[in-house]
Amino acid sequence: MFAFAMKRILQAVIVMLIISLIGFAIKHNFGDPVRDLVGQRVTPAERAEIREKLGLNDPFMVQYVRFLGAAVQGDLGQSYFFKRPASEVIIRKAPATLELVFCASLIIVLLSVPLGIYSAIRPKTLFSRFIMGGSIVGVSIPVFLTAILLIYIFSVELNWLPSFGRGKTVMLFGWWDTGLLTVDGLLHLIMPSIALSSIMLPLFIRLIRSEMMEVLESEYVKYAWAKGLKPRRVWWVHAFKNTLLPVITVGGVQLGIMVAFTILTETVFQWQGMGSMFIESVERSDTSLMVAYLVFVGFVFVLVNTMVDIIYGLVNPTVRVAGRK
Amino acid sequence: MKLLPLKSASTFSLFIVATALCAMLLAGCGSDQPKEQAEQAAPEAPAAPQKVTLKLAIDADPTSLDPHVQLSGGMLQLSHMVFDPLVRYDSKDMHFVPRLAERWERIDDLTMRFYLRKGVKFHSGNDFTAQDVAFTLERLKMSDDYKGLFEPFVAVNIVDDHTVDLVTAKPYGLALNMATYIFPLDKQFYTGIDDKGLEKDRIVKTDYSFANENESGTGPFAVTYREHGVRTVFTRFADYWDKNGNVDEIVLTPIKNDATRVAALLSGGVDFIMPVPPQDLDRIGNTQGLKLITMSGTRIITMQLNGERNPALKDPKVRLAMAYAYDNHGVVEKIMNNFATAAGQMSPDGYVGYNPELTPRFDMEKAQALMAESTFPDGFEATMIAPNNRYVNDAQIAEAFVSMMSRLNIKISLKTMPKAQYWDEFDAQVADIQMIGWHADTEDSGNFYEFLSMCRNAETGYGQYNSGSYCNPRVDELTLAAQTETDLDKRAAMLQEVEKIQYDEAGFIPLHWQNLSWASKDSMNTEEIVNVMDFPYFGDLIVE
Amino acid sequence: MQTRWTRFKESYMLHSFLRDPVALCSFIILATLVFSAFAAPVIAPHNPYDSRTINVMDARTPPSWSEGGSTKFLMGTDAQGRDILSTMLYGMRVSLIIGVGAVCLQAFIGIIVGLVSGYIRRLDTILMRIADVQLSFSTYMVAIFIGAIVQTAFGVAGYNKVAVPLLIVIIGLAEWPQYARTVRASVLAERKKEYVEAARVIGLPRIRIMWRHILPNTLSPVLVISTVQVANAIMSEAALSFLGLGMPVTQPSLGSLITAGFQYIFSGSWWITIFPGVLLVTLILVINLLGDWLRDFLNPKLYKG
Repeated sequence: MFAFAMKRILQAVIVMLIISLIGFAIKHNFGDPVRDLVGQRVTPAERAEIREKLGLNDPFMVQYVRFLGAAVQGDLGQSYFFKRPASEVIIRKAPATLELVFCASLIIVLLSVPLGIYSAIRPKTLFSRFIMGGSIVGVSIPVFLTAILLIYIFSVELNWLPSFGRGKTVMLFGWWDTGLLTVDGLLHLIMPSIALSSIMLPLFIRLIRSEMMEVLESEYVKYAWAKGLKPRRVWWVHAFKNTLLPVITVGGVQLGIMVAFTILTETVFQWQGMGSMFIESVERSDTSLMVAYLVFVGFVFVLVNTMVDIIYGLVNPTVRVAGRK
Repeated sequence: MKLLPLKSASTFSLFIVATALCAMLLAGCGSDQPKEQAEQAAPEAPAAPQKVTLKLAIDADPTSLDPHVQLSGGMLQLSHMVFDPLVRYDSKDMHFVPRLAERWERIDDLTMRFYLRKGVKFHSGNDFTAQDVAFTLERLKMSDDYKGLFEPFVAVNIVDDHTVDLVTAKPYGLALNMATYIFPLDKQFYTGIDDKGLEKDRIVKTDYSFANENESGTGPFAVTYREHGVRTVFTRFADYWDKNGNVDEIVLTPIKNDATRVAALLSGGVDFIMPVPPQDLDRIGNTQGLKLITMSGTRIITMQLNGERNPALKDPKVRLAMAYAYDNHGVVEKIMNNFATAAGQMSPDGYVGYNPELTPRFDMEKAQALMAESTFPDGFEATMIAPNNRYVNDAQIAEAFVSMMSRLNIKISLKTMPKAQYWDEFDAQVADIQMIGWHADTEDSGNFYEFLSMCRNAETGYGQYNSGSYCNPRVDELTLAAQTETDLDKRAAMLQEVEKIQYDEAGFIPLHWQNLSWASKDSMNTEEIVNVMDFPYFGDLIVE
Repeated sequence: MQTRWTRFKESYMLHSFLRDPVALCSFIILATLVFSAFAAPVIAPHNPYDSRTINVMDARTPPSWSEGGSTKFLMGTDAQGRDILSTMLYGMRVSLIIGVGAVCLQAFIGIIVGLVSGYIRRLDTILMRIADVQLSFSTYMVAIFIGAIVQTAFGVAGYNKVAVPLLIVIIGLAEWPQYARTVRASVLAERKKEYVEAARVIGLPRIRIMWRHILPNTLSPVLVISTVQVANAIMSEAALSFLGLGMPVTQPSLGSLITAGFQYIFSGSWWITIFPGVLLVTLILVINLLGDWLRDFLNPKLYKG
């Protein structure tokens, strides 16, 4: 077991090295961050001097090794635009993104479970057909289009919901800037969460439905029916419980994908989270912050993946190094 | 059996699509009748003096609280809110009005004397004196961005606590223009060591500095909360000397995306936006309860043609033909939605170099005739680059340029890119035709020629942004002579001659001057505080 | 030939296809769309790539049936004065080429990696690890990163010419793990079966076993995910263009058309963004519907009851 865990951790370290290398290669090619820091009057010579001071003229490997050395100690470099350590900037922005992902997940769970189950057990009703039809339309509309339409209808035409930003936020524990505790903050959350959940919700409904239908066909459910159990009990206790496992496994992967979709959602709604921070840092050539974001997100994914693997390995000894399906 | 529900589900999905499409179309058509009313900023409550808050959305957040860290429009907007200059341009025309300098006089060719306003306080509570002006000028000369502008100044002589002399090395006609950039900083506040053991007056572009995060100016507003890139709160400075204006608090939110910014104003989320994207001018203008102000601006957009890279562009006939083939008015009307002024030269009306004879000259027949006479009657191929997020509708303008040139059989391959990558390519002169916009930070014509049309010279720095490598010794001669000419009429004649030369040789292709725009609720005197430099004087804003 | 045709004609697949109105309908719509996209140079009323025919003065003309519209431009024009209908047709062609191209690349890489890792145990761990990490990073992120690198690597004149192949590579590289996992799973299932054992016993080379014996048996899941992946790839391209990392303005895809139109949505020029939006959604939807049908048809699970 120990060897297995070590092996996984070693792999994780290698993956992180690769990610940081790729990130750094982007940084090196991305254009000159000094441009965005100076006015039109500053001469090329002075710009070169600033570059020199920032260490941007050193050879690639020298910069990379310097970055790695600092990164190991938790220093991901300095954001040129924010004039603060990049890790600090990212951590300040993280609550916004996490709350958005949280609310979107909430919508997904609250809607997909009942809808998925309903359409599995009553596949022929009008409502089920409506759900299935709606879900396939749902997967076919790109997130940014959903977001644009939501803004257009609910903010501009109907004037019901705010169209941008996080609204009034409250500071929790001195660092977690939350929008969940004010009415204004919650109102601002509605449209971005809907937009973000719009792509995953149909996938989950369909997933739950098909898993559930499969379970309903299985021998033990047939046996449960034969025993004369009440439908409610068969559906919830026998069928749904067994549907859950594959759903959760897939859900883990989807969560990662959702973080990427936040880039799109946050851009449209001007949501001040990590995603829009990343796109803005790309536009400003704030290369240090870009790399830091990349490494940070990579780190979180690798960490979660590795932990899941190790736990999975603990629970299910047959998996081990062979890899999971 | 099990296929059945799926199938009918799919039938339904088609039905739903149809409904959704109809809904989308309806939503789209709905926009034809702008009828909504923006919320009123303050309900009618004349009696109780209520706190007046202005919710302001700008496209970009000022990068720092230190006015000397960068010379950019955003930083100057901030400076006019938090600091106050010695003199400033009037918001109607371009004359100078006193601010911290009550009056001024020219003592001799080299010296300008400023008499400072008495009883002015900084946000820290310190008194404002001549010492602070001297300190500020010294700091300006250390700033990478400002030292070029303040190079002509060699000394600051403090005559008494409220009188100060600015001395230049050579006769210099733009001393007052430069005084608009002197926003006195609190010497006492910015001197010493901060709690991190660093000097408080350091100017740091990329890292922490005391001045980046703290301010003490004399301006109408003090910064009371700031989360960089998210929200900044400005609170009225109680001891501000000028009692115009009634806004107690400004909440600034940067909203980069044009459409989102407009949506925020339309839905009442903010009270004031700048800039207004040209495509939304009509809609905002037609919405009840909103007010739209536009103004002809001073930023010229040009195309530089590089004859060194592409031999065809060296042919004077070709250059002229291209200038004749570009439909300035058409682009202004259709792409810029009349949100620009078609240009035939660099200097906008009001600048000394402005030459009223040089008007846009679109004439396709003449262009084709010129092209036929040139050494490339069958056209040629060329490359071109343009930014896609720097100027208003820059990429679309570039495309329109390409399509207009194609009528002369000039096949242009265009690449547009974000400004982050653009300027390096621009400097490297990677393409035959390159786009650049320019705003003269001295508000003077000479500045255009020094940077855009003088022969490129790495040593003197002249022609730094002349990526077309246009070079005419006469232009250089006149521009340099104008720098030290103090006779205004002679100077104007020189600068106008430069414009004429450039026009006749098609040294570059002028497109238009970008207009400026602001939109707000109509309960404010917005039109009185905005100006052609795009530094709204929020201190003077009155909200009913 | 004749026999193959008859075999197809009498196959259950065709029968089931013809019996399913939605699949049939989707197929007809898709075929029409694909046909009109590739016949765009012939059927489109204007050529949006020929800048000589574009006149800025025509910009933002509303659709012909609304006020101020012109019969010259059925669905109006965009901000450049390009006919929306023609631009959409050309744009759809770009989107389709990128979508299908990217999926071919994904399938190519994915199938090879899947076969290798399913058959050669030693490489399995590392290959699947890479796939895992890349999957968790998701298409958009990978595509954004690769796109950012490559965009800067190509010079000015270069990018326009390489944009299409580039996007194919970007999206292809970003989503191959989907295939790799699917193929690997079926390889793992197949390799245990007797016929593979038998092939090995006669001493056939590994490559041959993989290629001739195992691969054909993994094709039906590949076919099913391919349809979904084409839809996904088209959406990815649209999203990249939306963020400004996709097709250049001069050669618009549906995604970049929507982005360009988004700027004008509040000013009343709704047609610039709505029409391409509707077309994009329709295109993706019919592909998804066909994918659904294919899955139902090919998936043996559905018949076991």
